[in-house]
Amino acid sequence: MLHNRVKELRARFGFTQGDLGERVGVTRQTISFIEKGDFSPSVSLALKIAREFEIKVDELFWLEGDRKT
Amino acid sequence: MKKDFRVQYPLWQMAFIVMFGFLAFSVTSATTELINSTDEFSYSFELAGFESLLLFGSISLTFILGAIFASKIAKHNKQHLTQKLTMWQIRPLEFLEQDEGMTHITRKAAQKVYTFFVWALPVLTAIYLVFELSRFWMIFGILILALMQYIIYYLEIRKYLREVED
Repeated sequence: MLHNRVKELRARFGFTQGDLGERVGVTRQTISFIEKGDFSPSVSLALKIAREFEIKVDELFWLEGDRKT
Repeated sequence: MKKDFRVQYPLWQMAFIVMFGFLAFSVTSATTELINSTDEFSYSFELAGFESLLLFGSISLTFILGAIFASKIAKHNKQHLTQKLTMWQIRPLEFLEQDEGMTHITRKAAQKVYTFFVWALPVLTAIYLVFELSRFWMIFGILILALMQYIIYYLEIRKYLREVED
């Protein structure tokens, strides 16, 4: 399963799901699916989201058991 | 999003299927007479009071529903200039494909419907093979499958959207 910090970083940057969706070109619902872990985004969408938060993709998404502390 | 026409589209289809069911019932209940000889071909059917009420009621309601349906499409097209729908497109109108997340839930719902048909079609075929059914019951069986298709699809999409919108 793919874990992520989208919700945490979105709150830190003060974005709503709609704001982030608009910035990366998807619907608010898709951001919500990602945050809830219902949907694993494509590489290109993951890169776009990571770019918005100014971090690397592997700092934003990681596989279960792979998290670096 | 739940009010998006594409999300509500299966409900419209269900209503049209029910209307068609009433229409099929009234037509198949009619006394029919077919003459097909070398010098004459004619087909006539006689409706009793209740059946004719059903037939004209269902036709009238279908026209009313059709008019509202067309206005809903027009309203959707005004609000979504880049995602216009037409009544005659081959691709199902209920598909949500605005982005990869919506495509994902559409795929999930379509997979459930496909799984339903994998089981339901052989079962229905076996029923038709074993039992001698009237024309109405054969149509009724097919309409039930069509209704189930939209119920399964709608509930699956709604489940995902309710989770993210509540």
